[in-house]
Amino acid sequence: MAHNGDVHANVPAFVVNAIPGPVREQAVAMGLKDEDCIFSACSDIGLDDGDHDNWVLVTAAGVVTLAAGAGGPPLRGPFGMDQIRKIRLFQAVGSAFLQLEIDGTYVDVAHFSNALRDTFSRLRSHVEQLVEGKPLVDAPGGADSRRCSSCGLPLAGGDESCPRCKGGSGITARSIGLMKPYWKFSLIVFLMLCLRVALSMIPPYLVKVLVDRVLEPRSNVEWLLLFVLGLLAVAVMVMAINVVVGWISSAVGARIGKELREKLHEKLLDLNVKYFDRHPAGGLMSRVLWDVEYFHAFVDQVAGGFLLNVMMVLGIGIMLFYMNWQLALMVMVPIPLVIVGTTLFWKHVYPKYYPVWETQSKMAQHLSGVLSGIRMVKVFGQESRERTRFGETAAKMKSARFALQSSSITFSHIMVFVFGLGGLIIWYYGGRLVLDSRISLGTLMAFFSYVGMFYGPVHALSMFSNWMTGFVSAGRRVFEVLDSDSMLHESPRPAAAPDVQGAIEFRNVTFGYEPHTPVIHDVSFRIEPGQFVGLVGRSGSGKTTLVNLVCRFYDPQEGEVLVDGVNVRDLSRQELRRRVALVLQDPFLFRASIRDNIAYGCTEADPVAVIGAAKAANAHGFISKLPGAYDTKLGEMGAGLSGGERQRVTIARAIARQPQILVLDEATSSVDTEAEFEIQKALARISRNRTTIAIAHRLTTLKNADRILVMDSGSIIERGTHRELLAGHGVYANMVNIQSQLACIGTE
Amino acid sequence: MIMADDVAMTDAGLCDGSIDWLTPENAHVYEGAFSMLCCAVNGAEPVSGVFAIRLFPASFPDSYIALLTDTPGGGTTEVGIIQYLEEFPVEEQALVRSSLARHYHEQVISRVHKVECRNGLLFFDVDTQRGREQFVMRWEYDRAQEYGANGKLLLDVEENRFLITDLAALPAVDKRRFTRHIYW
Ligand SMILES: Nc1ncnc2c1ncn2[C@@H]1O[C@H](COP(=O)(O)OP(=O)(O)OP(=O)(O)O)[C@@H](O)[C@H]1O
Ligand SMILES: [Mg+2]
Repeated sequence: MAHNGDVHANVPAFVVNAIPGPVREQAVAMGLKDEDCIFSACSDIGLDDGDHDNWVLVTAAGVVTLAAGAGGPPLRGPFGMDQIRKIRLFQAVGSAFLQLEIDGTYVDVAHFSNALRDTFSRLRSHVEQLVEGKPLVDAPGGADSRRCSSCGLPLAGGDESCPRCKGGSGITARSIGLMKPYWKFSLIVFLMLCLRVALSMIPPYLVKVLVDRVLEPRSNVEWLLLFVLGLLAVAVMVMAINVVVGWISSAVGARIGKELREKLHEKLLDLNVKYFDRHPAGGLMSRVLWDVEYFHAFVDQVAGGFLLNVMMVLGIGIMLFYMNWQLALMVMVPIPLVIVGTTLFWKHVYPKYYPVWETQSKMAQHLSGVLSGIRMVKVFGQESRERTRFGETAAKMKSARFALQSSSITFSHIMVFVFGLGGLIIWYYGGRLVLDSRISLGTLMAFFSYVGMFYGPVHALSMFSNWMTGFVSAGRRVFEVLDSDSMLHESPRPAAAPDVQGAIEFRNVTFGYEPHTPVIHDVSFRIEPGQFVGLVGRSGSGKTTLVNLVCRFYDPQEGEVLVDGVNVRDLSRQELRRRVALVLQDPFLFRASIRDNIAYGCTEADPVAVIGAAKAANAHGFISKLPGAYDTKLGEMGAGLSGGERQRVTIARAIARQPQILVLDEATSSVDTEAEFEIQKALARISRNRTTIAIAHRLTTLKNADRILVMDSGSIIERGTHRELLAGHGVYANMVNIQSQLACIGTE
Repeated sequence: MIMADDVAMTDAGLCDGSIDWLTPENAHVYEGAFSMLCCAVNGAEPVSGVFAIRLFPASFPDSYIALLTDTPGGGTTEVGIIQYLEEFPVEEQALVRSSLARHYHEQVISRVHKVECRNGLLFFDVDTQRGREQFVMRWEYDRAQEYGANGKLLLDVEENRFLITDLAALPAVDKRRFTRHIYW
């Protein structure tokens, strides 16, 4: 057997893992030679219950599975290449099997986890080549695009960047970064805060002088009024500064909030369809609406709360030590307790925030679901069930809130108590100092004033972390959207826009919504400009998926989709959208007037164009009979129109775009036969100079198509004109037969 | 249910709406060549290359088990559905269970030693039936799914599956560690 490297010169060997001694011995005992081994791989899940590694060895003659160190006969095989009909990877749940078809049934020869999928995929293609007697070429393995190239973390696919390597600077740092454009204001705020702290230091000092020079000696009585006036002046200035700082910070905060909301909205529009498959709309809404609110508050907190408190703590600390360092040290005694408390907070109170946020977003999701599906709720009489479900969420929110609030209240009152300890210490220790005449009574009074001002900010600071946690996670939710790479990246150097012709080509396209489960397999076809192509196939065969790729809602995992000879990845978004218009399987209308809906894709809602499009889509008749005609406002999801009417409005919308490529996904499924006939005539007219792809279950719709592609399980199994396909007596002919039989039943 | 590129599930055999229940009276499950599962129904020609899947993997992991087999066309067809597996003879139960275990490759978590959250990823350090191991999962809602009445199924970045059959059965510390991050 071959160790890495020492292989027979003529046969390329793809030994993936170095074969261990015992396996080699077993193989040699079976009469295999080193140079025979073409491919070997070790699977990470045993086929039997034993805990021996399973090795699959591929030679020119056959395939065998050995259990390392188990001795005895091979685990599976050896199977000669002539015995093997087919080889496949069977994706089970959470793992996959390599299977060989022997005598009509598939036999498992290896069981491996998803991490080894690529290795076994290569092994499969080698065996396939050997079975078919083709020359061996290694499948393009090596660097795996679905893994981070530096840390190996599997990625969601596409161009997602690695979250582990990307790291991410702290939320706080980034939030402060948001304030950068406002640095002038920040500087003003900072200077004013310095002034305010300095001013705050004055009153206790005045108290000290008042007690020591006026009250205790009962002299200089005329100073009393002056002192009070001084205190008043300080109070007035502090108030003025507070107002101005508050005013500036809310102005900056509101602006940052607005900017972030706009950024989020813009990003949401940019994200690809996959992102929305995964993230419910309700949750995203709450990010734009509520999570951003935290940023506003963040600015207030930084300016009014955090910064001020830090400076206060520093300023007062300095004053305390300046007046009497021993007493000042005593004041610091409870501080370690504060630190311990804060640590405990992070450990025990902080996690209680998660369920609260979670239930909040669940509630938003529930509401958006119920409200948008209100008809379903009513028609199925599910009001009471929805009430119960809402009640459950509300109850969860209640208990989560209670758990959070009860523990955070307990925590904050314990903190208040800890700070109170400081006062007791000063009473005792400071009182002794006064009695021993080591400090004046005025100094003690000043100490009390300062300490009264000291613990407040310390406490606020410890609570600040409390508030920060809320902010950090809201910030994370906001930045998660902003940073999401779930986008179909536009090529940095978009190809020069080719002439608008309307050609479409698929070259060996393979695509799956999940990385390992393709729903389109190696599809290739070409549609010439101006052709009318029908796409038919069973439900779930991948028709919608195929047109999704033309519109570049998703990127294929392999192969390329070309529009007018250019890969859609290299076309700028505008160029692609300019060429392609789509009518969706489930017609979607915005909550706006019919006119706005039809003109949605156009730069201006030119009434003539709108009417023209509606006429072409055979929608003009019913629209003009509505009291509001083209200005009729539609409700949610087009409420106010029938299903067929909605469909015709969406067709009109696509036509109004004047696209070179028109994609109709079951666009005529819910109109009556007469209307369909009308639409067909219209389509024949409008499709004359443009490429049209029409998906239809009613095959009569496609009779006049230039070409019909028949799909099954993600592949194109037949292609040709209606007539050719009928003559071919294949799947399409069969479908037509069934439909015409059904039609006969209708006429009987 | 996920199927690979090479195999697509089709719904052939499920068209008429009637359910082919498999009971100990009408069906017999046994092991054939290459450790393949075989199933004989009503004394008809036995079907080989059978595998079992769960119809309600999250809500009823131990009932409603469908037995499937390959069709020559490359699809699969259903042999029938077992409603209550425990009615079957012990050795047949064991065979079906081992087929399920092969099909659903899952690590059952018995202890949670550490869970850390960094950059939107959760780093787990756990005990499973295989021993102590570490894995990384995305901290996303759909990566931790409900399982049975009180369990959780975690999907790591490689789509490997880690199962906590009953959260309440975890030691209290472990449960707290876990629910701190996976609280839904
Ligand atoms: N967003 C999605 N995520 C995961 N799988 C999907 C998604 N959309 C479709 N699929 C799967 O892809 C396969 C092909 O779906 P597709 O919508 O292309 O079928 P179709 O041919 O348009 O069917 P129909 O005639 O019923 O509209 C189906 O098996 C479906 O379950
Ligand atoms: Mg479809």
